[in-house]
Amino acid sequence: MITRRRFVTDSSALAVATLGVAEALAQGGLTQSGLVGSLEGSQVVTEPAAIPKSFKEAPELAELVKQGKLPPVAQRLPAEPLVLKPLKQIGRYGGTWRRGFVGPGDGENGNRINASDKLLFWDYTGNKIIPSIAKNVEMSADGKVTRVTLRQGMKWSDGQPMTADDFVFWFEDIYGNREVVPTGIADMSPGGKPGRIVKIDATTVEFQFDVPYFLLIEMLAGDTLIGGGMSVGMYQNRSFGCYAPAHYLKQFLPKYSSEAQVNVRARSEGFENWVRMLHNKKDWNLNPELPVIGPWRTVRPINTPTWVLERNPFYYAVDTEGNQLPYINQIVMTLAEDLEVLNLRAMAGSYDLQERHIDIAKLPVILENRDRGNYDLHLDLAFNGTDTAIHFNQSYTADPEIAKWLTNADFRRALSLGIDRGQMNETFWLGLGTPGSTAPAESLPQSPGPEWRNKWSTHDPAKANQMLDALGLNKKDRDGYRLRTDNGERLRLQVQTVRAFLPWPQQMEMVAQHWRRIGIQAEVREMERVLAFTRTQNNEHHIHVWNNGGTELLYLFPRHAIPVDPTEAFMGPEFAKWYASGGRLGRAPTDPGLKKIFELFGAAAGQKDDERNRTAQEIWKILVDQQYSIGTVGQSPALMGVRLASRKLGNIPSRACIAQHCRTPGSSRPETWFYQS
Amino acid sequence: MRARLFTRLPVTEAAADAEERFAVASQLQLTWWRFRRHRLACFSGVVVVLFYLLAGFADFFATMDPHDTEARRTYAPPQAIRFLDDDNSFRPHVTVLRARRDPRTFRMVHDQASKVDLGLFVEGYPYELFGLFQSNIHLLGLKNAQPGETLHLLGTDRLGRDLWSRLVVATQVSLTIGLVSVGISLFLGVLLGGVSAIYGGVVDTVVQRLIEIIRSMPTIPLWMGLAAALPNTWSVTRIYFAITVIIALLAWTDLARVVRGKFLSLREEDFIAAAELAGAGQMRVIFRHMLPSFLSHIIAATSLALPAMIISETSLSFLGLGLRPPAISWGILLQDAQNIEALALAPWLLAAAVPVITIILAFNFLGDGLRDAADPYG
Amino acid sequence: MLAFIVRRLLLAILTIWVISVLSFAIIQLPPGDFVTAYIAQLSASGASVSAAEAVALRELYGLGQPFYVQYAKWMARVIVGDFGVSMEWNRPVTEVIGDRLWLTILISFAALMVTWGLALPIGIYSAVRQYSAGDYLFTLIGFIGLAVPNFLLALVVMYLSFRFLGANVGGLFSPEFEVADWSWAKAWDLAKHLPLPAVILALGGTAQLIRIMRANLLDELRRPYVVTARAKGLAELRVILKYPVRAALNPFASTVAYLFPYLVSGSVIISIVLSLPTVGPLLVRSLISQDMFLAGTIVLLLGVLTVVGTLISDLVLMWVDPRIRYQLD
Repeated sequence: MITRRRFVTDSSALAVATLGVAEALAQGGLTQSGLVGSLEGSQVVTEPAAIPKSFKEAPELAELVKQGKLPPVAQRLPAEPLVLKPLKQIGRYGGTWRRGFVGPGDGENGNRINASDKLLFWDYTGNKIIPSIAKNVEMSADGKVTRVTLRQGMKWSDGQPMTADDFVFWFEDIYGNREVVPTGIADMSPGGKPGRIVKIDATTVEFQFDVPYFLLIEMLAGDTLIGGGMSVGMYQNRSFGCYAPAHYLKQFLPKYSSEAQVNVRARSEGFENWVRMLHNKKDWNLNPELPVIGPWRTVRPINTPTWVLERNPFYYAVDTEGNQLPYINQIVMTLAEDLEVLNLRAMAGSYDLQERHIDIAKLPVILENRDRGNYDLHLDLAFNGTDTAIHFNQSYTADPEIAKWLTNADFRRALSLGIDRGQMNETFWLGLGTPGSTAPAESLPQSPGPEWRNKWSTHDPAKANQMLDALGLNKKDRDGYRLRTDNGERLRLQVQTVRAFLPWPQQMEMVAQHWRRIGIQAEVREMERVLAFTRTQNNEHHIHVWNNGGTELLYLFPRHAIPVDPTEAFMGPEFAKWYASGGRLGRAPTDPGLKKIFELFGAAAGQKDDERNRTAQEIWKILVDQQYSIGTVGQSPALMGVRLASRKLGNIPSRACIAQHCRTPGSSRPETWFYQS
Repeated sequence: MRARLFTRLPVTEAAADAEERFAVASQLQLTWWRFRRHRLACFSGVVVVLFYLLAGFADFFATMDPHDTEARRTYAPPQAIRFLDDDNSFRPHVTVLRARRDPRTFRMVHDQASKVDLGLFVEGYPYELFGLFQSNIHLLGLKNAQPGETLHLLGTDRLGRDLWSRLVVATQVSLTIGLVSVGISLFLGVLLGGVSAIYGGVVDTVVQRLIEIIRSMPTIPLWMGLAAALPNTWSVTRIYFAITVIIALLAWTDLARVVRGKFLSLREEDFIAAAELAGAGQMRVIFRHMLPSFLSHIIAATSLALPAMIISETSLSFLGLGLRPPAISWGILLQDAQNIEALALAPWLLAAAVPVITIILAFNFLGDGLRDAADPYG
Repeated sequence: MLAFIVRRLLLAILTIWVISVLSFAIIQLPPGDFVTAYIAQLSASGASVSAAEAVALRELYGLGQPFYVQYAKWMARVIVGDFGVSMEWNRPVTEVIGDRLWLTILISFAALMVTWGLALPIGIYSAVRQYSAGDYLFTLIGFIGLAVPNFLLALVVMYLSFRFLGANVGGLFSPEFEVADWSWAKAWDLAKHLPLPAVILALGGTAQLIRIMRANLLDELRRPYVVTARAKGLAELRVILKYPVRAALNPFASTVAYLFPYLVSGSVIISIVLSLPTVGPLLVRSLISQDMFLAGTIVLLLGVLTVVGTLISDLVLMWVDPRIRYQLD
């Protein structure tokens, strides 16, 4: 008999006190500024007694109900809606949330606001898994079967019921259709063996696998291909998430009519073929008619100068008094072609809540304009170890001398010791970051421990020089740079940077100056993004600089820590190809550290939580000790952590969770924010 | 001009001599005399020469290593030079500031620290002059400075690097990197414009259509493609130089059209007909008779192409395509100023625009003056 | 004459075809393709793409095929007026460009008006009062526009107007009018936002125009007929304006060629800095992300306008200057 473990309420493995984090904040500048609060947010209420029996709705919706255009609120909500206890008070309905976005590729701007369209989610601490669409998720003792219980009476935004059929539809007709999704994803194929989604009854679905897959619960809660909700799973030509509105999308599939028919329809609407049309129709950013589950739906698509979202009248959550969420009526996002303009508009008070695309370097100016723009500023610290990770390409081959040094652990350690992280922190993070290695914040369950923060990650140029001398790089030229051991020329390392989130080219210029003092010449090349990525994929780079967001929960988004995904394998593209193709392509690593990491990582999916977290800790220990990626400064507000919130808004947390799985600002539950006047 | 000179008959011998000198002066002499009258152009010429001198001896004029970063100096304001000490004795000095970050506003706050003497021809960071001599003498610098005390005539940038030194070194790059490409595009412009006009017919049609095609080519992907195709081991500056040379193959169209127009109109002039009737060969007609007539336009075009090259360098930096750090050029320095925090917190970074504006104006006025002077019919 | 026009038209078509081939090739020149750009962009925005998805996307967009196949397919569609769908905007190219086209033309036109309005009077004055203090002063002012880096100027002006005037930042509409339907209020809002971009855009071209106007007018003023007019007792202003100025404007006919594409592309850099919804930034983005159809269509459009502009300017020149007309016969 298979015993089941109730997952949702048993959160001991994952719940971590947030005190540890608060302690980390006690670094002079941060507490004095008064800008960093404590983690807080709206909580999910699950006790049956606390679930409200009667419901209320927004006045505009009430009006439509009176006119007979909408069913009454009690019928629009599922029998057991998600109950959210607002952070501070019950809110009022109304208002338009003004926000800025930067183009049709900025879908994440809206996806993250709609992050509650997932089966499971994380609470505001980022540490506890909570129910979302799913009322309950249970895993069998052997980890092979995961049963998801949906909410009775749940409806899509067009009023049609959402049932297990929508999951099966996705699995069989979209994911299973080779023309739409050419190859399966690792998320659904642990150990290389594809799994299945099976309907048990109208409100019960099972994920069945042939091997133990204890990681699945976290995958469903996290920002993964399988767990991301429909907003992020199906936007921009993707076909993931684990469900789709069958009743609406059927008309676009040949299976339900004929290939000829759908192609004719596609061409008449201006698409090349039915596949392109399908990709467009299931993208909630582009298609206002697509039924959705999240709190807001698109009324004016993202590929226009103004992206407008409106309340979803069938959203499945209510507050503790039975008011259907969201409180805010509408979200209007205006296009800014240039980030300076976006930041300037934020300072002028043109946005009501903006954390995305805000530049930390402008912090002093943002602070000056608070009264004029009528907003408050919050600094939210992230949980990933470093905003700027210096990745050494372990699979580089073009120049054997360079390859020799890139793959030499002591060489990397010496370079790490040569970096003055305090200087970088002060210059680029205004002192708001934590200098150290790539390991995640100490408060997280996968952290290897506080002593790994500074391992090989302090500023010790004397030791660095000593280590480099000992390696045989003791000959220097007239300018003090070390010479290669093969031909006596200067040793030059190419550092590839892209002008993206952070001013990486400038940061590496500073690092290059630090390395100059230990005799290493770094040629910093600022490259155009596409070129940099192409070179990385072709294994041409020596060193690539990027951040390591997402590695807070290593298994959900490992690629910035370990080379397992060929699209972004800065540390070793050939190894990523080898791993992802099961050994057919690429090359296997020979470095014992890397080999061990791949072994540990591969085994993790089949391990239970505690064991899995310990495995992650082992992996981090190797990563930090070997310094395949040098960490500089992290746990900072640099990425989405500088949050401007209009003083008119209520229920705004003083500190929000910044991590990939938190879907910032999703885990702060925007649906509970409201306009106070 | 000539008319005015002859309205008054020469009455003295000196005046008669001057007139005679004028009548027999060569074209070059005439050009020079007329140029001298254009005050603004002369002044601009001097400015240009000064800039190139600065560029040639850039490191000598710089006060600090332009690459040296220091977080404690981030966004430091310019230091004022004072010549008199408190007791009115002559002691040129600057007041070095100590910086800290205000924990509430996150601005850098600067407190007055110590006075440090200024000196001429002081020892500073080492450099190579023209790639030949080693030296470490700089025009200006601090005397007996303690570690941490540095001179910043124009303040510092975000990384704490001295702006004045970077500006001076940038002059070197910005003023020289486009010269070869300007030369190439000028040569091609005159050649193809001339050929097009002289041979006419099919050749003319082909060249004209070629001009249209080239003008329609998008240069941005060309830049991206070339930047990717050139060897990665080259320095940033070298890559940029190579690309400008290649792009020069596309930049000749404006001049070609002008040259062609001028040739076409000159062909009808009487003196050309006279030369041909006198038996001059085609080459002689072109080089001895036609070319000098619009030499003025060519000179003007040259002096205008140089500022165009500077402007295009700055524009490319804006788009992220041209010179990039760690190279130092005006375009790059302007990008450091191209953001709100620079305008609000460190407005001295805008000083990078001053040499750009000055040199562009100088080149323009110089070009105007040269053209006015060289134009035989003006 | 007719034969000339017909010949030119045929040549124009040939030229446009060559432009289309070359620009298509050049747009694909940078390494990678749209999918690479798309992956890079997603990575930079905190999202991710798996290797399998990338393969699927390439197939979907037909990016794996050789250049000439892609070109042939594109051309076949362009001929029937189907310009394809922009990969980045997921909308038909005609819609994406169309949205912005008329606003671009409006701004460019406004900038042109400002340019000509400033440059012609200054040019005339400079020529008439050559070497005077006024000449130097006005010339200096006009040239400032040429010398000051326009992107920096745009940002400075934008920041100052925010700081001291509390003005709406960038763009062409205030937020409340962005989504609203057209009305007099909206048109007035647009009119309020136009001057800043128009002036900044105009500054660059003013100097060039002043210089040309001044040079042309100086040439004309030295002609004998001006002396005659003065001798006959015409008032000075009439002497200048009636004949020399009009004659000095003739060479401008050749600049018409480049007016057309300018009207459509506008100024790229200033539009980016001021966040103006024009075709310029659209072109830059599409070129950098290698959005084939959008970039190809815009470049083709600009190419056509250049060719048409050249033809028109040549025709105007011929109409204006009989000597050139006779040369052709």
